[in-house]
Amino acid sequence: MMRRLSILAAIIIVAGFAVYWWLTMPVVVAASALPAHTPDLSNGKTAFNIGGCSSCHAVPNQPDRTRLGGGLPLTTPFGIFHVPNISPDVKDGIGGWSEAQFVTAVLEGVSPQGAHYFPAFPYASYHRAKLTDIRDMFAYIKTLPPVSGAAPAHEIAFPFNIRRNVGIWKLLFMERQPFAAVAGQSPQWNRGAYLVNTLGHCAECHSPRNALGGIVAAQRFAGGPNPEGKGWVPNITQKNLDDWSEKDIAYFLESGLLPDGDSAGGSMASVIKNTSQLSAEDRTAMAVYLKSLAPVEGPARPKSN
Amino acid sequence: MKRMFVTVAAVLLGIGAVYAQQDVVNQRQTSMKENGKNIGGVLGAMAKGEKPYDQAAVDAAIAKLAENAKTMGTLFPENTKGLKADGKYSASPKIWENRADFDSHVASYTKAVNEVSAAGIKNLDALKAAVPTLGKQCSGCHETYRLKEG
Repeated sequence: MMRRLSILAAIIIVAGFAVYWWLTMPVVVAASALPAHTPDLSNGKTAFNIGGCSSCHAVPNQPDRTRLGGGLPLTTPFGIFHVPNISPDVKDGIGGWSEAQFVTAVLEGVSPQGAHYFPAFPYASYHRAKLTDIRDMFAYIKTLPPVSGAAPAHEIAFPFNIRRNVGIWKLLFMERQPFAAVAGQSPQWNRGAYLVNTLGHCAECHSPRNALGGIVAAQRFAGGPNPEGKGWVPNITQKNLDDWSEKDIAYFLESGLLPDGDSAGGSMASVIKNTSQLSAEDRTAMAVYLKSLAPVEGPARPKSN
Repeated sequence: MKRMFVTVAAVLLGIGAVYAQQDVVNQRQTSMKENGKNIGGVLGAMAKGEKPYDQAAVDAAIAKLAENAKTMGTLFPENTKGLKADGKYSASPKIWENRADFDSHVASYTKAVNEVSAAGIKNLDALKAAVPTLGKQCSGCHETYRLKEG
């Protein structure tokens, strides 16, 4: 009897582990899955700018946004992430990566070694971007200067440091549907919705997150505590931005100036460096979409003292 | 008696110094708010097309920005480190930890304002080009050296 029970227990454990392994399997895009494509460097640059790659990956404390040597520490409730080198350096960056490996990394959040990236890398948003945009982005990054030097290892506490667990996180919080244009909305609105929700990954900071670090879907864009530590990220639904015109939003994305003359600070100042590089049409499209967001009450902001 | 006199004087001086420091913080806030009003409320509103182009208002705003830029570097003395202001923003202690870098930001802003002021803005197109340039100078420094409360 005892012997039977322990065999049963062993089978359950093995089966459980197999299910876990199956559920958390990283998705890899094969090179054979990529159709023929001639990269468009100018579109790649746009994708790079709206993607905000420089904000995290550019070498900190120097002005050149195209030196993608990484090294910026991101302090989060789960520990400190050290942003990796994504410059075209063969040894320390992505110079040795194939296009399929890059596409897998950005769209699926999986490294060339087949491990899950932590979602501090906003692939949950990038996942919905167009394949051609990501391929153009890869071609553009390849034209940037190689920077040597690797970032230190992440300092993440158990159990969050087990990369395999990120597979569960992806099942829970990663939207699987690629971006689809909404019928009945203008091409401009749809362009804005695409930029804001996929590459622009605005919701990653401008939404509250639950205990497991997933975005609270009902309060998307309604602001919340700064995921990078101190402070509060504003609500960008019409609950808070009802007195901003489309022009105000577009102008803010260009100049960093708020309607009252205040200027962007903190991480948003860095975002403006990206959005100011976009075309006026793209900024206006983002403004049109953001202006259409229904008012949503965000989490209660702690009283400032 | 003498000792008491010295003590009282020292205390008064000390209080005076604290007031003076808080005064600098207030001047800083006033100056920054004026800059914001001039760049955003006057120049930005015209560049966006919300207000009609008004040459006299443009000249006045730029003159005020240039005047305020002259003293900006003096409004962050070491002894104001950690002092809170009434508004929603305060100066980050990083200013005094990376003073040289902070000063280079102030110099860069001053240079941008002086260039606009020297060239003068004569039409809407020139204004449209100048405002984002100035705006980037604001956020360039606020990115690292301004703290938002709460």
